Amino acid sequence: MEVKILSAKFDIKDANKIAVAKPLGAYATLDKLFAMKPEEVIEEVKKSGLRGRGGAGFPAGVKWGFLPKNTGKPIYLTVNSDESEPATFKDRYILVRDPHMLIEGIIICSYAIGCHDTYIYIRGEYTTQVKVLQAAIDEAYAEGYLGDSVAGHDFKLDVTVHRGAGAYICGEETALLESIEGKKGQPRSKPPFPAVAGLYGCPTIINNVQSIASLPFIIEKGADAYKVYGTQKSPGTHLFGISGHVEKPGMYELPLGLPILEVIDKVAGGVWKGRKLKGIIPGGSSTPVLLPDEAKDVTLDYESMAAHKTMFGSGGIVVLDETVDIVQLVKNLIDFYHHESCGQCTPCREGLGWMLKIIKKILRREGSMDDVNLLRELCDNIEMKTVCVLSAACTMPVRSYLDKFRHEFEAYVQNASSVQAKQE
Amino acid sequence: MADTINLFVNGVEVEVEAGKNLIDAIGAVGIEIPHLCYHPALGADGNCRMCLVGIEDGRPPLVPACKTPAQAGMKVLLDAAHIKKIQRDVMELELINHPTDCPICDQAGECKLQDYYMTYGRPESRMTVPQVQKSKKLDFGCGVVHDQERCVTCGRCVRFCREITKTGELGIINRTDAARVNIFPGRPLNNRYALNVVDLCPVGAMTSRDFRFKQRVWFLKKAPGICHGCAKGCNITIEHNREKYQDDLIYRFRPRLNLQVNGYFMCDAGRLSYRQENEGRLLEARLNSQIRPLEDVLAAYNQEIERAEKIAILLSPNCSLEQMVAVKALATKLQASLSGFSAGYIQQGDGDGFLIEDDKSANRAGLTLLGIDCTQEHFEKAVQETQLLINFNNDLSRSYAEHELKKLLKDTKVIFATSHDDSLATMADIAIPVAASSEYAGSLINCNNILQTFTGAVSKNHKPADIGELAAKLGSPLQNRAEQFAELRIYLSVLKDFEADTVPAEGLNLNDSEAANVTA
Repeated sequence: MEVKILSAKFDIKDANKIAVAKPLGAYATLDKLFAMKPEEVIEEVKKSGLRGRGGAGFPAGVKWGFLPKNTGKPIYLTVNSDESEPATFKDRYILVRDPHMLIEGIIICSYAIGCHDTYIYIRGEYTTQVKVLQAAIDEAYAEGYLGDSVAGHDFKLDVTVHRGAGAYICGEETALLESIEGKKGQPRSKPPFPAVAGLYGCPTIINNVQSIASLPFIIEKGADAYKVYGTQKSPGTHLFGISGHVEKPGMYELPLGLPILEVIDKVAGGVWKGRKLKGIIPGGSSTPVLLPDEAKDVTLDYESMAAHKTMFGSGGIVVLDETVDIVQLVKNLIDFYHHESCGQCTPCREGLGWMLKIIKKILRREGSMDDVNLLRELCDNIEMKTVCVLSAACTMPVRSYLDKFRHEFEAYVQNASSVQAKQE
Repeated sequence: MADTINLFVNGVEVEVEAGKNLIDAIGAVGIEIPHLCYHPALGADGNCRMCLVGIEDGRPPLVPACKTPAQAGMKVLLDAAHIKKIQRDVMELELINHPTDCPICDQAGECKLQDYYMTYGRPESRMTVPQVQKSKKLDFGCGVVHDQERCVTCGRCVRFCREITKTGELGIINRTDAARVNIFPGRPLNNRYALNVVDLCPVGAMTSRDFRFKQRVWFLKKAPGICHGCAKGCNITIEHNREKYQDDLIYRFRPRLNLQVNGYFMCDAGRLSYRQENEGRLLEARLNSQIRPLEDVLAAYNQEIERAEKIAILLSPNCSLEQMVAVKALATKLQASLSGFSAGYIQQGDGDGFLIEDDKSANRAGLTLLGIDCTQEHFEKAVQETQLLINFNNDLSRSYAEHELKKLLKDTKVIFATSHDDSLATMADIAIPVAASSEYAGSLINCNNILQTFTGAVSKNHKPADIGELAAKLGSPLQNRAEQFAELRIYLSVLKDFEADTVPAEGLNLNDSEAANVTA
């Protein structure tokens, strides 16, 4: 099932070094790239159907097409490498094991959109990754792949690494821009969208690491070669991070469209210790949970996930076995999103803290059915009332747990009333 | 008239001004969209989420009104069930961590949270878990006291310091429900407009140390006024109250919107100048330092007038135009030389090009308009040539040191019509109490040649005369304000279509030739 497109060099020792990576094909597409017109590059990427790998799955080529023409302002590319979604650990592989693939992708994208300054916004906690990435960028400069004349062509490109300071919200594209500008990382109201007014008010394209890293293959082999993998609407391959209660957790590159249960069984070795499957988080902590029954028809692509009222997300699959206490899980979930709320909008700022206190109260067995109902209602009251989707990233999964595992919450509060009755 | 467009609110077509956001456009025709973070002077931020409105057939269907320009044909939904639910939900979330300080909160009675709770809120609290606790009564400097628990983190104060004063003392630190407004350690508010954050704060999080706990706002009577602190003439609301058995006292000045003068704001010095209206007042007439009935004092005045061969009259640059023409007419009748010397009111270099002017008087332009000589030579020559100086509330101690003044006036009898019992009143042979600026009606011309009128707000127990009335009693032919205002029309043709009480609230721009007279 596994394929080796993005991960081709992942298992090769020192592939992060240009001396190793170059003989293996790094930067080989550049001659072909510069022989193409920028519009042809965009067209090829559109044709490939490559969808943004940050979670939303918006077609990358279409996004690039939103850039206004002839504004007289510089165009920026910003690579979102703030990989902070719980259960997501795909981009870090690219950053450490094949950073030159990312840099090559940056060159391709920058050439296509006419950008000469690219920022890589990298999660602050990624200390190793920053070191390896910066070393690779330094090598690329030394070898002439970055700088005033990229690979000897008449194209200037500078790449700057900007480290975050440990805020999940800075993975939201406009909070990311604020952070690069030196401000507090808080999402901006849209419109205007970054393609129109982004970094320093200039047209800006923001793409995920994996999206950018997919470009060298598309340019080298062509859109059709890329579409061999995946489904009609979700073509290509994806790096899936499978974690939780499986025998062989890890990062696997798979074509899109495979059945999720088969992947868990055959690729990740199945649920560990012979236990039963309780649920699957399909694409990072903010995606609604799937019950084993629901998961039967689910395939790993954007359309199937949407059809089952969840999301493809970041490809971070978490497998939950029968021992998982869902109430405890929901507490951890709310705790995270509450902690990471930027505090800008009222519903998210106040609401997530309230939800956390309610779930803690339920966990302490002091809750009532009213509390469970209130928690469920708050999901609706908070969601989509805010500038960004962080609040929804919390309420969507919480709602799914409350709806699908309601009996577990009820058990906590019924237990509470019996405990209280005994005390009386 | 600005361009207008038609749009629909709750299915009803309304005509609104083009180029504004929905809150302002629809608000101008009397339909409220609740909002906390938006302020017209500070722009839209979009964080409070109270102004979310539905747009029928819109993409997206739910938008913050503060960030949404009014567009022709737009179908705005305000009373739809889902919008009312959002307002109720957001109000609930605003209030869950808000302390029930209302009984001890200065903002109570003029608090957006209170108002919105009554209109949009959910009647019963569902908060059964402990509230977030934060710091209270933080001293932010410049007389601003902050309560983090009451704060709704709308960021108006932060944006004011960044965008208006450009001093940036305030920021919101921390994330999530630990977010709070704070200063940098050891770097308190340090600007001359800091107290505006108290007005801007939609709730009771920013309070003024000066006003805290002095009055419940619903006891305050509010009257429009003009700040006399400098030549800008900022529009203010005079908020005063007469407590039982007490005198009518002013508790605060607050800026009143006038886009062509001061906008939404005023400086702290002007704001606190209300104290001068309350304190140190001359309450009774005095003759040779003895308190005497006003009739006796006026009789003494008449004797002095009879006796003096030559009289000098001095006007204050704070007098209203009406007072000035009345006194000018008196001077003509008495064949007195009239001066407006008041160099000491000018603090060179103190102005900031925003709302603070060098000239700390309210109506110097009026002196110039009436052709009253303001030079020091003219004033001193007049004093030396005469035995009697009638001073209408001009604070000469601003222009002279005490010994200089004593030397200048050693052979001159001084009749001082004064609002305040200061050292000059002590020195004067006759001191007559007159009204301070909050107690009479009048007109002023500000530094930008805008004529503004104001009405009397406060009525003191000792009922001091306005200088215009006093001048009439002392023999001025102009007997009342109507006559004074009619006299003004000689100088100001712009007044020909107006009476004192019909001058527009935003003031009258003097035409070029009149402005030239003023600035000459």
